[in-house]
Amino acid sequence: MSFKIATIADAETAAGFALAGVQDVYVHERKEETLAKLDELLASEDVGIVFITYRVAEELGFDFRRRMRTKRLLPAVLRIPDKTGWMPKVDELREIIRRTVGAEVIVKGGS
Amino acid sequence: MAKAIGIAPTRMELLKLRQRVSLAQKGHDLLREKMDALVIEFFGIVRSIGEVRVKTMQQLSSAYRALSICFAMQGTIETYQAAREARKDVEVDISTRHVMGILVPVMEAKPVERHALARGYSVYATSSALDEASREFEKALEILIKLAELEGGARAIALELEKTKRRVNALEYVILPSLKSMVKFISMRLDEMERENFSRLKRIKAMLEARE
Repeated sequence: MSFKIATIADAETAAGFALAGVQDVYVHERKEETLAKLDELLASEDVGIVFITYRVAEELGFDFRRRMRTKRLLPAVLRIPDKTGWMPKVDELREIIRRTVGAEVIVKGGS
Repeated sequence: MAKAIGIAPTRMELLKLRQRVSLAQKGHDLLREKMDALVIEFFGIVRSIGEVRVKTMQQLSSAYRALSICFAMQGTIETYQAAREARKDVEVDISTRHVMGILVPVMEAKPVERHALARGYSVYATSSALDEASREFEKALEILIKLAELEGGARAIALELEKTKRRVNALEYVILPSLKSMVKFISMRLDEMERENFSRLKRIKAMLEARE
């Protein structure tokens, strides 16, 4: 089945993804509106992937993390660095590994 | 031994308990195997995530660089204008595959790299920097879709792994020990009754012999 792709980002990054042909591009301005948009995207049936920049995700904070914990398999939400290349120091995936395996795991060739 | 007080120390109860112990043991072994399989799968994915992530970061940073150049050369307003005009038709095929009974997404990007004329903005009014930026972003999008697939899968497997681990631990450290302690309690109690009975019989026999 075909699914749409959506992006939530700052204006410049959003422009880049719009140029690449992403269908649903949302420019983050205020937290409440972005959260409403995110809810709409997560609830919709035809959105397959949501890209959201780390900075926006960080700004949404706890509300974002709670939605990530309770969401369905689709749409997949992927966080990407924005134009400044900024990423939080704590990698969420690594955090999950630490919780499940009970040890810090360093994979060769990993970031 | 507090839990053992509630049960009647009978042979019937002992048999039932033994059955439960063997069932719990079987379940524990199965879950343990499932966990091992999941761990193998999980680390396979994590390893490829590492590689794909490095590639994504490189591609994204070159895409952002191209975009900045475009903003500078062509002007901010014109670039936003082109972004609004660009044709937005990228879609992704998503199906699912099963790993030990867990749904893992499989995403296949339809070719996202397009011809400059197919992008939808006016070629006449824009500079080549915009084409460059578009191309870089299309490439980045392709890798990002791959990364989204891997991370989605890793996430699903990690959650299942956590659940399975909790179940294995519950069986191993709570349910099995308590069942085993109940079995021990009953069998000791039955042995004790046996011994009591034995000495009682001896005593009765002695009394009967003394009467004769």
